[in-house]
Amino acid sequence: MSDNGAPLVEFQDLAVSYGLVQALSGVSGVFQPGPTGLLGPNGAGKTTLLKTLLGFLHPDRGKLTAFGLDPIREPLEVRRRLGYMPEQDCHVPGMTASAFVAFAGELSGLPRDEAISRAHEVLYYVGLGEARYRNVETYSTGMKQRVKLAQALVHDPDLLLLDEPTNGLDPQGREEMLALIHDIATRRGMSLILCSHLLRDVERVCTNVIVFNQGQVAKAGTIRELTGTRLQVFDVRFKGDQAALLTDLKDLGADWRESEDGVRLFLPEGHGPETIFRLAKECGVQVRHLRPGAETLEDVFLRALGHEIQG
Amino acid sequence: MPIYDQGYRRYEARSALHQVRFWPITREALRLILMKRAFLGLLAVSFLPFVVRVIQIYIVTRFPEAGRILPIDGRLFGDFLNQQIGFTILLSIFGASGLVANDLRTGAILVYLSRPLTQRDYIVGKLLVPLALNLAVTLVPGLVLYAAGLALAPELYLKWELAWIAPAIVAHAVVVSAVVSLVALAISSLSRSARVAGLGFFGLVAGLEMVRLVLQNGFNRKEAVLLSLQANLQALGVALFGVVDRQLDIPWGWPLLVLAAVSLGCLAVLRSRVRAVEIVT
Repeated sequence: MSDNGAPLVEFQDLAVSYGLVQALSGVSGVFQPGPTGLLGPNGAGKTTLLKTLLGFLHPDRGKLTAFGLDPIREPLEVRRRLGYMPEQDCHVPGMTASAFVAFAGELSGLPRDEAISRAHEVLYYVGLGEARYRNVETYSTGMKQRVKLAQALVHDPDLLLLDEPTNGLDPQGREEMLALIHDIATRRGMSLILCSHLLRDVERVCTNVIVFNQGQVAKAGTIRELTGTRLQVFDVRFKGDQAALLTDLKDLGADWRESEDGVRLFLPEGHGPETIFRLAKECGVQVRHLRPGAETLEDVFLRALGHEIQG
Repeated sequence: MPIYDQGYRRYEARSALHQVRFWPITREALRLILMKRAFLGLLAVSFLPFVVRVIQIYIVTRFPEAGRILPIDGRLFGDFLNQQIGFTILLSIFGASGLVANDLRTGAILVYLSRPLTQRDYIVGKLLVPLALNLAVTLVPGLVLYAAGLALAPELYLKWELAWIAPAIVAHAVVVSAVVSLVALAISSLSRSARVAGLGFFGLVAGLEMVRLVLQNGFNRKEAVLLSLQANLQALGVALFGVVDRQLDIPWGWPLLVLAAVSLGCLAVLRSRVRAVEIVT
């Protein structure tokens, strides 16, 4: 937690670019202590914000502070209080997990003995206790994700930055990783920023979210506010004049959008395929294909943010 | 889901940051390199010329007439150090080629730069690895050889007019080690593969040396020395120790200037390549 109870991270009118590509264009927001999700599709600017926070990127304009410090002017002090789990693989070739995590601790300023002792503790904590003397290069993807988490935790940071921590994991590995992150956030009381394009991952751990889209903050608040009530989704292909049918569906509170292979329908609670068939029959339209679909993050965004996203 | 509750505790005792933050980088990289037996073998072979030179000093002190073929003066040290340049290049190929390249390949660069470390800390930490190895085969045996000379043949070496030898050994060894290390590290930062970086370094050194030999022997161009990294370093040794070598006999300021420019260029390459974020414009 920040020393004076102020937000951990604050950014105001922050603009960051990679050469000619504008990654963040004048975004503002705060990260309060506790777990916060940073949501958005790929290329939305989430990782750019984390990298600016770490002092890797210099803003074109605007202001960003972490723990009340400027990461550009005082990068060492800021980074010392941050733990960063990058999206991509990261390990030092030839090192065992225990040596690697201890090394990471030492680089963060821990004395050598303390770094070694903490490395063992943290590796047990993330479930790699038995495999800690194995070379990291021989690890599976799930184990590599855990060792990345361990190296970010070893120095006990004030704020943990997790960039797509469930990337490449199978469903069970994903569950385990999310359980670990949830434990870190709730029982260990560590503040964290969970950066993901998967709404379900963020939902599992965080209550607050900041949604990024096309380099801008599309929405900030609680997940409940963002998603509202979940709808039922159906991918449907009609034959005939579907305009009247879609109007009738809209009158029932349904929503729809064109998809690659027909129409994606979002029905409110209390309605199901039978409603589609009934209205189709009334309108003289054939239902050639109907398949229940899952509401994707994109759907939720599009629905929750409406014209903000599309605009 | 296995979470080992008793295994994690908050760490409250945060101490001040180290002044020498690069030291763990150097120490761990050296440890990993010295764990390789083949590398240790190469390091051992690098000391063979030193053993030969000690035997040379011993023979000359026991059989003074041998001094006519094997002169014992400053030139012995110049020849020895110039011979060691080849070993510094080999050690850098096998010891330094992966230092930055592997970090770029495995993403370890993010582990370093997301810590309280500056880019300079990282570069210094990595640079000290080949520098230490190169000094171990130039400066250390050079000074030990000089000490051996003093011990075995005090009548030959304990002279005021030969007092310049020790500082010359230090100067030449430091320049050779520093420049070779810088070039190896800069080339390592240009690739994500240690093998490609090693081959690149070897190709650069060997290629330029071949061009130099062709220009010198075919066209009698003395200034071709300035093209080759190895020849520049040797030319400096020739000038420092008064070694007779017509091919490398050029004013010492020129190779020094070239080596300074090469070093600055390597630092610029390292500064642009050692980044947590690669920006393509």
